[in-house]
Amino acid sequence: MSAVGWIRRSRRRTSFVSQLAIVGVLSIGALVMLLPFAWMIGTSLSRQADIAMPRLPRLWPPDPSFFNYSVALQNLPLVRYYTNSLIVVGASTAGYLLFSALTGYAFAKGRFRGRQILFVAFLMTLIIPFETRMIPLYLLMKDIHLNDSLPALIVPFLVGGFGTFLMRQYISTIPDDLIQAARVDGASEFLIFFRIVLPLCMPALAALAVLNILWRWNDVLWPLLVISDPNKYTVTLGLAFEGHSQGTYTGVALATATIAIVPVLIVFVILQRRIISGITMGGVKG
Amino acid sequence: MDPAAPVPGPEAKAEVAGTPAPPALSPPARAPRYGALGRSGAFAGGGRSGLVWYVFVGPAFLLLLLFVGYPTFETFRQSLYEQVGTRQKFAGLTQYTQLVHGGDLWHALWNTALLGFAYLVIVIPLAVVLASLLNKVRHGSAPLKVIYFLPQLTSSVAVAIIFNYVFEPDWGLLNGTLHRFHITSTPLWLADPRLGFTGSRAAVTVLAVWAGLGYFMLIVLAGLQSIPVDLYEAAAMDGANPILIWRAITLPSLRPTFVFLIVTGAFDAMSRFGDLWTLGGPGGSPAGSLQSIVVFLFQTGFESGNMNRAAAVAVILFCLMLFVTFASFKTVLASEFGGRRRAR
Repeated sequence: MSAVGWIRRSRRRTSFVSQLAIVGVLSIGALVMLLPFAWMIGTSLSRQADIAMPRLPRLWPPDPSFFNYSVALQNLPLVRYYTNSLIVVGASTAGYLLFSALTGYAFAKGRFRGRQILFVAFLMTLIIPFETRMIPLYLLMKDIHLNDSLPALIVPFLVGGFGTFLMRQYISTIPDDLIQAARVDGASEFLIFFRIVLPLCMPALAALAVLNILWRWNDVLWPLLVISDPNKYTVTLGLAFEGHSQGTYTGVALATATIAIVPVLIVFVILQRRIISGITMGGVKG
Repeated sequence: MDPAAPVPGPEAKAEVAGTPAPPALSPPARAPRYGALGRSGAFAGGGRSGLVWYVFVGPAFLLLLLFVGYPTFETFRQSLYEQVGTRQKFAGLTQYTQLVHGGDLWHALWNTALLGFAYLVIVIPLAVVLASLLNKVRHGSAPLKVIYFLPQLTSSVAVAIIFNYVFEPDWGLLNGTLHRFHITSTPLWLADPRLGFTGSRAAVTVLAVWAGLGYFMLIVLAGLQSIPVDLYEAAAMDGANPILIWRAITLPSLRPTFVFLIVTGAFDAMSRFGDLWTLGGPGGSPAGSLQSIVVFLFQTGFESGNMNRAAAVAVILFCLMLFVTFASFKTVLASEFGGRRRAR
């Protein structure tokens, strides 16, 4: 019997008690992580919370009702915010994926004059933080009369150095023979791109989509600059502006927050495997 | 763009001119075979002019020039001007000297550094401990992972809204829980601008740790799982105890992970905005204690309306981030080539 086998077996024997302890510690931590969410939802269901909050916090109200939710939906056009957010996130992500894949393919498999220098130019944009260029970008939006419109939240984010870089790295791993064979068969580069390269890129595109959706959905700085019409607010911007104005009615304020947060969390939990692998793959924070 | 459209190359020009191309350049057999599909496209990868690639890259490049290149250049240019009446006047480094001599920039930089440091010092060790435990869990680690990751999927604004109520001094979740344990003198948290463990800066640090922990755990977990199992088995056979194994194998193997987390964490801390703005507004209230450098940039440009001064702040922020980038590159390169090579 090998020594390695012995180590593995002895590990298994001592494991039950230690497993229990480890899962216990981690579960306590997980409860701490969940507590603010649970408390928010519990309080949002309480009508008393609008009059006086209990001095000792409770997770479940004595008078559960959806009253605060109907008030929240009447006070604020939350459905509108959701529509705006979906339009902005959908359009910018679709564009970002298309342009990332197009440029990534050209830089990975194309041979053309200026390829190196153009690629370096794309990479250079990675070291320019958004905060550095947002003021002239805001003035530019004003000049081309896009400010205070949803396209202002979309067009500046259609292309990014990160997407180009990620797609170039991924497409480089596709064998040249596959593409060369298609060329010999007479396929154009566009046909090759849409029929062969894009279907093979799905894992990378999914990762990129996850990251971009998180970035765009959660962004507040840029919408804050270019959007002033309340009908054009995104969910995040609406929450930032209105989350406080309901302040004296704690129940209503937390119902508003719940409406803004929980549906998104549910979608993310359903997609969690994709999201976690995407974030690990990109190595970039959401 | 029609994919089938032939891209004009040198050969196409020759044909338009009516002179048949010499066989060496364009073998006659090829023209009928590829006809409508576009010759230069079909062979662009093989060393011909490859103009089709500019169609792939061109539109993206133009967007990049317009929305990244031009604004970046403009930030630098505008930082050298000042507004006099209705027109812009060249002012040299006036904006910078006034920023450096005033106290506001330093206050914002100090706050940013302080909040960033406190955040990383707490979140990284905590993430290492929890990820090490999570790595040992054999069954049921997936739900735990999702729960720790949930706040990461919530926007910084939403997190700030929740914690605004969690830190409410009279009935908030935190102080209310303290009341439950009969602790009566509870801290003011977000209403207290003083430096310390119960002030507004401590509160936003707790908030940031809660929000960021899942991401840090995920990256540490990926680092832990990339350490080869044979290393541990070899050490166990040599009779090393768990603490020695942890110090001699786990920690050194996690070095690249730490560098990565410190760098991304530093970038996050430097561009922190959403939660601080939601809680403290452009002034970083109470008493400016929550004013980070980006909040200060926002306040200068859009509350005080001094775009040129704000551009100078943006340039300073850019230089600081560039410095961190290069410093981290140097660290990474030194660890890759300077020290012994690590098994990854």
